[in-house]
Amino acid sequence: MSTADHPAPRSLAEALRARDDHSLAALLRSRPDLITPVPTDLTQLATRAGTRASVVRALERLDRFTLQTAEALAVAADPASYDELLGLMGGDDGDPAVAAALPGAVAGLREQALVWGGDDRLRLVRTARELLAPSPQHPSPTGLGPTVQEVTAGMSPGRIQEIVGTAGLASTHDAVSAAAALTALFTDRAQMDALLGRAPADSLDVLDRLVWGPPYGQVTADPAARLRWLLDRGLLLPTAPGTVVLPREVALHLRAGRAHRAPEPVPPVVEPAGTHTPAVVDSTAAGQAYTALATVEELLKDWDEGGPAVLRAGGLSVRDLKRTAVALDASEPMAAFWVELAYTAGLLASDGEADERYAATPAYDEWLEQPPAERWARLAEAWLLATRTAGVVGGRDAKERPLSALGPGLDRSAAPEVRHRVLTLLAGLPQDTAPHADVVLARLRWERPLRARGGTVSRPGESGGAVARPGETGGEDDDLRSRLVRWTLSEAETLGVTGRGALSAHGRALLGAPGPRAADTDGPAGPGGRLPFPHHPASRLEPLSAAEQTVAAAAAARLLTPLLPEPLDHVLLQADLTAVAPGPLRRPLADTLGVLADVESKGGATVYRFTPGSVRRALDAGRTASDLHAFLATHSRTPVPQPLAYLIDDVARRHGHLRVGAASAYVRCDDDALLNEIIADKRAAALRLRRLAPTVLAAEADPATLLEGLRAMGYAPAAESAEGDVLIARAHAHRTPPRTAPEPVPEGPPVPDPTLLAAAIRAIRAGDLASTAPRKVSAGDTAPPAGGELPRTGSAETLATMQAAVLTGEAVWIGYVNAEGAASQRVIAPVRVEGGFVTAYDHTADEVRTYPLHRITGVAELADEQQ
Amino acid sequence: MPRHPERQPRVNGPLIVQSDKTLLLEVDHEQADDCRRAIAPFAELERAPEHIHTYRLTPLGLWNARAAGHDAEQVVDALVHYSRYPVPHALLVDIAETMDRYGRLTLSKHPAHGLVLTTTDRPVLEEVLRSKRIAPLVGNRIDPDTVVVHPSERGQIKQTLLKLGWPAEDLAGYVDGEAHPIELAEDGWALRPYQKQAVENFWHGGSGVVVLPCGAGKTLVGAGAMAQASSTTLILVTNTVSARQWKHELVKRTSLTEDEIGEYSGTRKEIRPVTIATYQVLTTRRKGVYPHLELFDSRDWGLIVYDEVHLLPAPVFKFTADLQARRRLGLTATLVREDGRESDVFSLIGPKRFDAPWKEIEAQGYIAPADCVEVRVNLTDSERLAYATAEAEEKYRFCATTATKRKVTEAIVRRFAGQQILVIGQYIDQLDELGEHLNAPVIKGETSNAQREKLFDAFREGEISVLVVSKVANFSIDLPEATVAVQVSGTFGSRQEEAQRLGRVLRPKADGHQAHFYSVVARDTIDQDFAAHRQRFLAEQGYSYRIVDADELLSEG
Repeated sequence: MSTADHPAPRSLAEALRARDDHSLAALLRSRPDLITPVPTDLTQLATRAGTRASVVRALERLDRFTLQTAEALAVAADPASYDELLGLMGGDDGDPAVAAALPGAVAGLREQALVWGGDDRLRLVRTARELLAPSPQHPSPTGLGPTVQEVTAGMSPGRIQEIVGTAGLASTHDAVSAAAALTALFTDRAQMDALLGRAPADSLDVLDRLVWGPPYGQVTADPAARLRWLLDRGLLLPTAPGTVVLPREVALHLRAGRAHRAPEPVPPVVEPAGTHTPAVVDSTAAGQAYTALATVEELLKDWDEGGPAVLRAGGLSVRDLKRTAVALDASEPMAAFWVELAYTAGLLASDGEADERYAATPAYDEWLEQPPAERWARLAEAWLLATRTAGVVGGRDAKERPLSALGPGLDRSAAPEVRHRVLTLLAGLPQDTAPHADVVLARLRWERPLRARGGTVSRPGESGGAVARPGETGGEDDDLRSRLVRWTLSEAETLGVTGRGALSAHGRALLGAPGPRAADTDGPAGPGGRLPFPHHPASRLEPLSAAEQTVAAAAAARLLTPLLPEPLDHVLLQADLTAVAPGPLRRPLADTLGVLADVESKGGATVYRFTPGSVRRALDAGRTASDLHAFLATHSRTPVPQPLAYLIDDVARRHGHLRVGAASAYVRCDDDALLNEIIADKRAAALRLRRLAPTVLAAEADPATLLEGLRAMGYAPAAESAEGDVLIARAHAHRTPPRTAPEPVPEGPPVPDPTLLAAAIRAIRAGDLASTAPRKVSAGDTAPPAGGELPRTGSAETLATMQAAVLTGEAVWIGYVNAEGAASQRVIAPVRVEGGFVTAYDHTADEVRTYPLHRITGVAELADEQQ
Repeated sequence: MPRHPERQPRVNGPLIVQSDKTLLLEVDHEQADDCRRAIAPFAELERAPEHIHTYRLTPLGLWNARAAGHDAEQVVDALVHYSRYPVPHALLVDIAETMDRYGRLTLSKHPAHGLVLTTTDRPVLEEVLRSKRIAPLVGNRIDPDTVVVHPSERGQIKQTLLKLGWPAEDLAGYVDGEAHPIELAEDGWALRPYQKQAVENFWHGGSGVVVLPCGAGKTLVGAGAMAQASSTTLILVTNTVSARQWKHELVKRTSLTEDEIGEYSGTRKEIRPVTIATYQVLTTRRKGVYPHLELFDSRDWGLIVYDEVHLLPAPVFKFTADLQARRRLGLTATLVREDGRESDVFSLIGPKRFDAPWKEIEAQGYIAPADCVEVRVNLTDSERLAYATAEAEEKYRFCATTATKRKVTEAIVRRFAGQQILVIGQYIDQLDELGEHLNAPVIKGETSNAQREKLFDAFREGEISVLVVSKVANFSIDLPEATVAVQVSGTFGSRQEEAQRLGRVLRPKADGHQAHFYSVVARDTIDQDFAAHRQRFLAEQGYSYRIVDADELLSEG
């Protein structure tokens, strides 16, 4: 990292300035919060990178070994050399695995701007050091205590001199040098061995108890002899009355230099638990995918004529969820999953009316028109990216309010990342192997140890950064992240992304992962088939951008298409009044049959049963008996059984025997000749009169209009009471107004794409240039503008400089006051000067802009060498 | 998950596994027979209409399979192998879990402690022992995995464990009972292959139920089992007529003589090496006790046969619980019980050991093909008005006994003049009236047994060709030459009654011609709804009803 041609950086900002664009892009990619908003220059970037919130976020994203490295740096001297760090990580004896992994970890920390400086002077950024260094209130995971220097800072000089004397060192004249002498003793392995060699055995036992932490112990006012021996020699130092601590140097000596009891340089291997043939995996997943489509359709069809009501607090009531579960023949958590899936895919929403209910969105109708594989891809994509988490439904939030399906408070920002990680892990396994959930869990814990523990890096009273809620962090296996992992595995199976626990080919495509064969050859062919593991491997699958995700989803749909069963256009009719569709049916057929018969059994096939009720329903829907006979004859592979034909005729015979209609008004008259007259009258046409019986006319016009109309025709009608007036509302599919699907609520800003990154870096560099560039002193100026002050030149000179810059194509530095009166400094490359405006490429904003000349306070050329 | 080579799913198998645990088998598929054989041990045939048969996976069925020595892997393998579409993973997991529950607990004989319940999975034993219903049935804990069971509670504990979802495997064995030589007298006839198979399956399994269609010779399966056991046998039947027929058949088909067979009924109380008792006499209660219960202990029975096990009355279940050390054979045409006590049959009598679809046996020529017709009659206008205003409990009686039915019945009888015709109904008034118009004798509850047998004999001999019977003749009367049955009313929507009645005409005919079954139903009334319900079982067995209008039939006839 540190290069010979650059002097050693003195600050993080300088270190950043020395980095090339590529490496800056890497930083911004891994910590996207740093460019929202885009900082004006590198100094600001460095400051932002050192803020507490940002550092906490960055630390939480570290894997276990990198975090351990950072923790070791936090207990090492500041700055520390790479060798010191290696000693802390690998111990005095060294550990080849640690030695192999450490450069990667340090590079990772450097890339994320948590560590800067060359290998001889590695510095952990101050905030990170504060967060990770041990303190009495907040013990470090290393289990190390404070240094001798820190503990002795508050001790009386006399006491220190005593200790120094007992430890066999020459007495010094001040406390600081005494502490230094003690530190020197403790860090000298040979001398320490000699010192401890003289220690009584029971004193060594005390040290043994404290060595791996916690380093604090309680002592009485009159300590026992074994403690006394240690206290006298400074091997234990008092911190508060009754409390002693094992100084860091002593602990490190006892640990043979290691900061961690068990450094974990290698991630846990994801062992496959079962192997299936690719065909089994893919076909199982496809079967599941098909079921998912059917279930979502069934759900929304069920809600077609007005779904369940929206609770006042938002969401679906427990009763409605239960009802949905029964309708879907699923458990309640599963029902919650389906409902949430449809919601995140934008297929259902609340209709927003006064009596608020859930209903399918117009997008649902479009979705229905798509081919099955694309419908699946849409669901799977929505699931993959959603922050809404169905798994928490039924639980309670921090305020003990129940969390309801479709309700608020279901967003868990870690969800998409966990889903992606779990699936990526599966993608890294040899083809068609399924790991055990616990193994996946262990691996994910290694990758994000702090997240797994619910963000313990933060001090008490602070949010862990994630939307983790107190109720959700529990035992080892019960934290949100572990639950997310389990949910992901089961949901992926339900949705058909995986089959029998192994990632399917279409699931792989959804992730944008290379084909399975490529993955096989890329990865180390070890028995565990673990991921290739550089610490921050560029090859690791990153979440895709929106555009890439769409492409991946389309690819997944293409792979899935041949696996889905081909829709059929026929059924088998049987004499027991059932029809069996031995596979999925083409939509119009399925729709008609769904009206004509009741569904009895679902799955790969569908069993329909004809009942008088169902046949009546079809007749109600406007079908005639002959229609139905023809329909069955066309779509049945077998002759229509006589009982079924009879059933249809029998129901049709009675259907419509009674007629019900809507009329707004009627005309009643004992004289049917008069009614004949009215009906024959042309002027009555507008009243839309219809004869129901010799003495009764029904009208579609309302009574008032009818009265008026009849009067206009010269009759003298009298109004009757409105009783018996029937109005029937026609049932129609209920739809919400157009709705957009809920946006995922990511925890941080999204990872910027390369274009944005490049632009941001250019903007920062430009800003940096603007704030730090030494400027040429123009001839007319007596006082060159100091940093931060707007350049001031006369308007004539401004115009001249601009025109010159257009000719030379050079960038100039201007002061500019915008329409709101806010002043800023910008670096621009003028392209054209005309009509009182300068058109220029603005380096700061990274775009071509036009500036009115009168708003430019002044202009200065940039120093040559800066260009 | 153990690594085992998976069989590749068929691209186009005959089986479709539904998520609701039904299996659809396409019968016309070339592999349908193989598939049927593969799934029959664990799946219950639910419906067998012409194209697609429906099987259902139930815990009972899966445990039946376990009891018969099949394991989960075989079941999963069969499903995956024949399935047309991928089998839902959850279903496979569920099958493995369900089957795994059977046999965790076993009942066996301990040399020192007698009957004991042992487990291979200690937590399961802990769980069931904690149940309040189990506690009174067990004694001391011998070791952590074994607990003594009171021998008298053997049935009770099996019943309770099944309800708790941990069915116990009963390995405690059977007492041999008092030996008594019985042999089949196969002179000029032999057990049909499926009957042999049924006897074999039963004997191999120890105890259990054999399901065969009416007319397929269940009595002979009973006789075969008795010959196999060669011990004293108690046969429980539904009524006296049926008892006589069993006796008659046993004398004819086995080495047993009249004197060796006793009848234990309301009228006679004989206890012989083979005793035939009626459910009715056993369940007679006087002063709160069942006085005839001692019958079970009166001899050391080696085999107990339950005829028409689907009708087994509740008290008999209770007695049966105490007879778990004896071999039990249940015979029935259908395991469908209107009261849903199939699980008691499973735990107390035993798992299903054999069944065959009706149509298959028909195809083999052992039962006559039947033409089922539902005749719809219209109520007259005045009847319709009366029906509409009738009290709810009177409605069925009213529409079932409409006068139009008489005309239709007469027309049918006329059409089949010369053939043996049974007219079956529920309501005595209606039957008397029919008897009068058809000039045929009526058999009802008040008809004496002697009179009944006389009429039956006359009918058998062809002296009378039309017989009107009430529901007393529903069961076990053997009328070999009845070729036409007309049902004018029934016990509401009873499916098994319909099956029994159809069974009356299914005995193979000497000349091999078709049997006719007419059900006369009043249109647009609850009679029609009940008829639809009653027909469901048969329709599911593959009997399709034609529906004709009464006017059509009357104009033809």
